[in-house]
Amino acid sequence: MSKSLLIIEDNAQNLYMMRFLLEKKGFSVIEAVTGPEGIDKALRHRPLAILLDIQLPEIDGYTVAKELKKHDELKSIPIIAVTSYAMAGDREQILAAGATGYIEKPINPETFVEEIIQYLPK
Amino acid sequence: MKLRLLKALSRCFLRLSFFAFLISMVLFVFQVYGENLELTVGLYENPPKLFTADSGKPSGIFIDILEHIASQESWRLRYRRGTWAQCLDLLGRGEIDLMPDVAYTAERAAVFDFNKEPVLSSWFQVFARADSGIRSILDLEGKKVTVLDGSVQQAAFENLVGGFQLQVQLVPLPDYQLVFEKVAAGAADAAIVNRFYGAMNADRYGLQDTAVIFHPTALFFATPKGKHEAVLKTLDEHIRRLKREQQSVYYESLKRWTAQRVVFEIPRWIKITGLVVGGLLVLSLGGGALLKSQVNARTRELKEMNREMEARIQQRTAELAQAMEKAQEADRLKSAFLATMSHELRTPLNSIIGFTGILLQGLAGPLNDEQRKQLGIVQNSARHLLALINDVLDISKIEAGELKLSAREFDLPESLRKVFEMVLPLAQKKGLEMILVIEKDVSRVVGDQRRLEQIILDLLNNAVKFTEKGFIKVTCSADGDQYVLSVSDTGIGIKPEDLLTIFHPFRQIDTGLARKHEGTGLGLSISKKLVTMMGGTIHVASRWAEGSTFTVRFPKIQEPKHE
Repeated sequence: MSKSLLIIEDNAQNLYMMRFLLEKKGFSVIEAVTGPEGIDKALRHRPLAILLDIQLPEIDGYTVAKELKKHDELKSIPIIAVTSYAMAGDREQILAAGATGYIEKPINPETFVEEIIQYLPK
Repeated sequence: MKLRLLKALSRCFLRLSFFAFLISMVLFVFQVYGENLELTVGLYENPPKLFTADSGKPSGIFIDILEHIASQESWRLRYRRGTWAQCLDLLGRGEIDLMPDVAYTAERAAVFDFNKEPVLSSWFQVFARADSGIRSILDLEGKKVTVLDGSVQQAAFENLVGGFQLQVQLVPLPDYQLVFEKVAAGAADAAIVNRFYGAMNADRYGLQDTAVIFHPTALFFATPKGKHEAVLKTLDEHIRRLKREQQSVYYESLKRWTAQRVVFEIPRWIKITGLVVGGLLVLSLGGGALLKSQVNARTRELKEMNREMEARIQQRTAELAQAMEKAQEADRLKSAFLATMSHELRTPLNSIIGFTGILLQGLAGPLNDEQRKQLGIVQNSARHLLALINDVLDISKIEAGELKLSAREFDLPESLRKVFEMVLPLAQKKGLEMILVIEKDVSRVVGDQRRLEQIILDLLNNAVKFTEKGFIKVTCSADGDQYVLSVSDTGIGIKPEDLLTIFHPFRQIDTGLARKHEGTGLGLSISKKLVTMMGGTIHVASRWAEGSTFTVRFPKIQEPKHE
């Protein structure tokens, strides 16, 4: 299996920060800035895990998570929600939509990669 | 011809003398069997309802009605003048037998008897100078408003402004004249008077009515408890009759005092003579039709007046409702704007904090000491700014009713230790002793972990911020179905006058050390709102220069909340 991770995130700075941190730890990163692009790249690359922003233009993260889980070949890939929607109820909602884990923005550069690793298949 | 005329004339005279005889008989009977009661009547200055005319005579609507009834009942009236409060006091002590113009309230009914048939209905209205800009009740925020001391409108108005959460300074004054005078002179901003007084006197003081109309009241005669029940009964019978008859003294008086401004008074005897002569003439001319049309005209006038008043009230009520709606809409927009802005501000700030962190970790290459120090400053400032924005976001969410609380089970001692350790480095740097006591009965709690930790952190941060030496002690114990958490410090404490407002937003107290203590002053007000939403309470006990203790009580099991 590849060591690549797919990041679906529309904010360029956030995308760059996550990419930088993950590449430092030896992961390779595939980028997508919209939901449909993310689904398309997930199907083509079968990443180790998908980091999914909830606030996306046009199609939000909840819908993207549900769409991803509809594909049999993607069902086993963990989805990790990355969001600043740090409010009660959001966690339940994104987990119900199919996410495995949940990381709150602002991300902590010191712990971010460790948090991601704990959600990866052993 | 002459003879027939004479005959007719003599018949007229006969008839007249017969009437005269009848009238005198009736009067005689009243003289003999009337109660011949002497009543002391309270009189205060509230034109046109009752007042002393320039001639020195008691006048006004109540007086017209009362004197009419008294003349029929052969009561003798003596007037006792005073301010409103004095009159009520004298009535309570039985030194006044009959007080006109008293609004019925439950408290008053305990001390006074009231007649049953209302004499007048009135309402209260706020008047202000033409240039005051006061149009609706919301414009009264922070204003000085004069009011009659001890009156029904005083309490009713306090209620009204309380409902709108306005801060209005009421200035109680002994009489209505002063109530208007103070505002006309600019010593106060607005005045509360009844509609009758306002309509008659506002112009004279250069005051105008505003849309603030409230508390419709029925006005009665009152007597000391248990003393004059028969008088009240008689008054009721007369008032009912007077109200039935369209041409009665009642309507005469109402029309005279409310429709036109009375400048001079025609002596009573001329009026009576005029009426008698006029009446005879009209009758002898068979002018029943004229009389009827007059009655109709007056009825129309009264109806018209009534319609006007009603239309005006409706208009004012609509204006008020519109103003309220506007204010609420503006408030909602403000909160929504703040919430969106705060979110937009956080995104780039998170980027600053994140990349600073990456640089400080040396992930992008090695740093020299000076670079490390300066990046540290960038990181601290950015974190501080984020904390401020989070506070603004929280308070606007709470005010917009958008803040939700979850209810998940978590370990309270673990949360306490976590937050305690977060403030430990700073406290130790200041040389403060830190004590954490968690009783054995403290374990699980069902609630919003993040928000509870936010409250504890805020209290602890405050304690560290405002304590220069000594200790900070955190204790937590169980009490029935609640947990009790207290944070004590040996800091600067809070002055007694500040204790009341410490939980209000933007109230970081000016300690003279102000520059040393950063913050929005929102923390405590957010904590208070969160604790309240959790079904708990927060209290503070403090001595200036000795220290403070904040105590929070919250239920062990909380319901999820959407405010």
